[in-house]
Amino acid sequence: MKESLMDILACPLDKEPLDLSATDTESNDDDTEVLAGELTCTECGTVYPIEDGIPNLLPPDMRE
Amino acid sequence: MKGQEWYQAKEIADEYDSKRFSRGGQLIDQREKQAVLEALSPVEDKKILEIACGTGRFTAMLASNGADIVGLDISSAMLQQGRQKVRQNGVSNDIEFMRGDAARLPFPDDHFDAVFAMRFFHLAETPAAFLAEMSRVSRTQVFFDTFNRYSTRTIYNWLLPMGSRLYSESEVESLLGRANLTLTDESHDFILPYGFYRQIPGEIASTFRDADTTMGETKVGNLLASVSYWNATVE
Repeated sequence: MKESLMDILACPLDKEPLDLSATDTESNDDDTEVLAGELTCTECGTVYPIEDGIPNLLPPDMRE
Repeated sequence: MKGQEWYQAKEIADEYDSKRFSRGGQLIDQREKQAVLEALSPVEDKKILEIACGTGRFTAMLASNGADIVGLDISSAMLQQGRQKVRQNGVSNDIEFMRGDAARLPFPDDHFDAVFAMRFFHLAETPAAFLAEMSRVSRTQVFFDTFNRYSTRTIYNWLLPMGSRLYSESEVESLLGRANLTLTDESHDFILPYGFYRQIPGEIASTFRDADTTMGETKVGNLLASVSYWNATVE
């Protein structure tokens, strides 16, 4: 995912903003591609992982 | 087995495109792409969300037409296929793929210009909740297809391993009303069901497809159609 996606992403549970903590990134021409890391809800604290460049915004009750 | 689990298996995702859209299936692919493009055009610079984007057939097409698009799916295996495909095609700059639940979308209200879902509602166990959520995040438009209850699809529908839900026109109208959506356009196609086209070679398929299209243009044809496309605006 691109770092600029943070502008629109919200927590699926309460629709509050998320905080990004990236552990692996790749620089593109005008944006940063986040390959791995975590998104944390600023309100409820739920953590959503980013793996292989794809954020997993499934609520915890739907993850296997 | 339900669609949700079926499409998460890596081997299903790996062969999804080749199994569905080779042979006569190519004609289905073309017709669906045409339906999406016609409904959403002009797509340039439009903010679009695709629900159940799978391997990104439409996501990639819309990005190459200039849309700013997000593809959401529940299956990580399908998304990985999609991500690889768009990276190879060089359109990855305008696409974001993410994993998520269609009933609890990770976006604020009214964010997108258009939200659409293809081949999704036949796998949906709670269609009203999904449609309401699509309507919430869309500012103007919602577009989707359904497989029809009174059609040739009923012949083999019960055999499908992923389960498949069929809809009547009045059910769709009631779902739209409950999601605060107004129907602006509908079209009906495929008197001969998808399963038929997938079994036959491309060159024979186009002959059947011509006859199917001709008959589909009649009143009776519309009644027998196995697929419907619904275009709605947000109230």
